[in-house]
Amino acid sequence: MPRRTWLVLLAALAAALLAALALGPVPLSPPAVWRALFGGDDEHAVAIVRTLRLPRAVLGVAIGAGLGMSGAALQGTLRNPLADPYLLGVSGGAAVGAVLGVTLHLSAPAMLPLAAFIGALLAVALVLLVARAAGARGDPRVLVLAGVVIGAFANAAILVLLSGATDDTVRSALWWMMGSLGDATWAGTRWIALYVALGGALLFAFAREIELLALGTDPAAALGVDVERATRRAYLAASLLAAVTVAGAGLVGFVGLVVPAIVRALGARTVRSVIAGAAIGGGALVVAADVVARTVRAPSELPLGAVTALVGVPFFLARLRRMR
Amino acid sequence: MYRRPFVLLALAVTASCGGAKRAERARAPGRTLDDFGDTVRAGHGARRIVSLNPVTTELLFALGAGARVVGRTHWDLHPEGARAVADLGDGMQPNVEAVLGVRPDLVLLYASDGNRAAARALHRAGVATLAIRTDHLADFQRAARLVARAVGDSAAGERLADSVERSLAVVRARPRSTKPPTVFWFIWESPLFTIGRGSYLTELVETAGARNVFDDLAAPSPQVSLEQVVRRNPDYVLAGPQNAMRIRRSPAWRAVSAVRAGRILVVDTTLVGRPGVRLGEAARHLRALILHDTVP
Repeated sequence: MPRRTWLVLLAALAAALLAALALGPVPLSPPAVWRALFGGDDEHAVAIVRTLRLPRAVLGVAIGAGLGMSGAALQGTLRNPLADPYLLGVSGGAAVGAVLGVTLHLSAPAMLPLAAFIGALLAVALVLLVARAAGARGDPRVLVLAGVVIGAFANAAILVLLSGATDDTVRSALWWMMGSLGDATWAGTRWIALYVALGGALLFAFAREIELLALGTDPAAALGVDVERATRRAYLAASLLAAVTVAGAGLVGFVGLVVPAIVRALGARTVRSVIAGAAIGGGALVVAADVVARTVRAPSELPLGAVTALVGVPFFLARLRRMR
Repeated sequence: MYRRPFVLLALAVTASCGGAKRAERARAPGRTLDDFGDTVRAGHGARRIVSLNPVTTELLFALGAGARVVGRTHWDLHPEGARAVADLGDGMQPNVEAVLGVRPDLVLLYASDGNRAAARALHRAGVATLAIRTDHLADFQRAARLVARAVGDSAAGERLADSVERSLAVVRARPRSTKPPTVFWFIWESPLFTIGRGSYLTELVETAGARNVFDDLAAPSPQVSLEQVVRRNPDYVLAGPQNAMRIRRSPAWRAVSAVRAGRILVVDTTLVGRPGVRLGEAARHLRALILHDTVP
C-alpha cells in the first residue's frame, strides 16, 4: 500500500481524535485539553477530558477498528464487497443477547457485553449450521443468505422480547440497538480494546489464507488451502470482532462496509494491508461519527448507529449501482 | 411561580383546539370534555370502574370510591387497598378484551397517543372512557374534579383538590432565596434521562424552592449527555436509592462536581413518582431534602 495512503488514514484518525477531545458541550481550548491530558491542575477540565472524552474516543477507535477489520476480512473471505457484519446477522445475534440481558435486568456493566457476545457466537454457529445443512460447505453465497435469514430471525426474537417489556426496558434496548459510545468507561474500554487486538491478530495470522480464498474456492483449493476450514476460521475471527464491537457500543452499522472499500480505493491491494488500513480508517470514522452524534443535537445525543447508517446507506446503494 | 399563567394558557389553547362544536357539546349540562376531546356523560355515578393510570386509581380511593374499582394497572400499588383489585396489565395500550372482561361501565385512561386506539375500541364496545393527562401539577386539580364528577361526588373532588393545593401553597410560601439551589434529577441511565419543563417534577422542584438545571427543555423526560450535566454544574444530584448508589460507584460521574463533593440526595421515589394525592407531601420531602427546611 502506498505510503500516501497510510498518511491519509493516520491523519484522518488524528484529526478525529483531536475533534473528539476538544469538542463538546463544555468549551475547552486545545491548550486546556493538552494540560488536562498531561498533568494539569484544573480538576474540572481533567475530569471532562480524562473520564468522559478520552475513554469515549479510545472506545470509538477500538469499535471502529474492530468493525473495519471484521468487514475487510468478511469481504475477502466471502468474495463479496458488500459483506458486513451488520448485514450478515452477526450483529443481530449479538443484539438478541443484549436485549435478553436488558429484559432479564442484567444491568451490571459486565453482564450486558457478555450476553451480547454469547448471542453473536450463537448466531455465527447457526449461520454455519444452516450453510452446512444446505450442503454447500464454505460457499460464500450460502453463508450470506444464511446470515440474512438468521438476522431476520434475530429481529423477530427481539420484537418478541420487547413486546412484553416495560417502557424503560424498551427504551434501553432500543438505545442499545441504535448504537452509542455514551457508556464508555476505562474498565469496559480496556476489555473491548484487548478483544479487538486479539481478533485483529487472528485475522493477520489468517491473512494469507484469506488472500487465497479471495481468488475463488477452486484456485484456493488448487493452491492447497482447506477451503471449508479456512472460511470457517476467518468467519469466526471476523464474527468475534463484530461481537466485541456490539458488546461495547451496540449496533453500529455500515462501518465494516464503507471503510474497507475506501481503503481499497486509496490503493490498498493485499488483504493484510486492507485489514490494517480498515482498522485505522474504521477508528477515524467511528470517532468522527460520534463527535457528530454528540454535538449536532445538544444537549441530547443522536444515536451513533443512526449517524453511520446515514453515511453508509447511500454508499451501499452507490456501490450496488456500480456493481451492476 | 411566574410560569403558572403559562401553564394555564397552554391548557386553554389545548382546550380550544377541540373545535367549537365539541366545546358546545361539552357545555351542555351533565357533559364533560376529556383530554382526547371526547365528551363524557358525567354525574351518572359509575358503578364498575377500571382505572389504567396510577394517579386516577389513587384518586378513586381517596374519593372513597375504592370499592367500585374493578381493574387497575400493574403499577397501581397505592393505596394498600388497590392491591386487591384485578391487575389488567401495563396500562399503556391496554388489552381491550381484558378490560371488557371485568365488565366496566367507566374506564379511566392516561391521555397519551398510545391509548387512543384503546379509547376508540372501548367506545365501540359501548363503554364510557375518560382520558386524563396527568403531566403537570395543574393536571392533578383537574383530574381530581373530573374523576369526582364521574363517580358522582363533585364536592369531594373540590375538597381533595383544595387540600392538595393548600399543602403545596404552604411549601411555596416558605422563604426562598433569589438564587435558588440547582438540581439535576437522575431518572435513567443508558441513555441518560432527566426531567424537563414538561414534567410535574420540575414544577415540584420549583415549589420546593430549587431549580432544575434542565428546565429549558420542553420534553417531560429529555435525554441528555453526561457532559451537559457537567456543563450545567448542578448544586445537587437527585436520584432514587439504587441509582444514587450507581452514581457514587461510577468513575464517569466523578466529572460532575456535585458528585465529587458528595452532594447526591436520595429521593423517596415511591412518594414523588406520580402527580397524585400525595403531591403536598412530595413537595415537603423535596424541600427538606434540598433546603434542609422542615415544613410543619
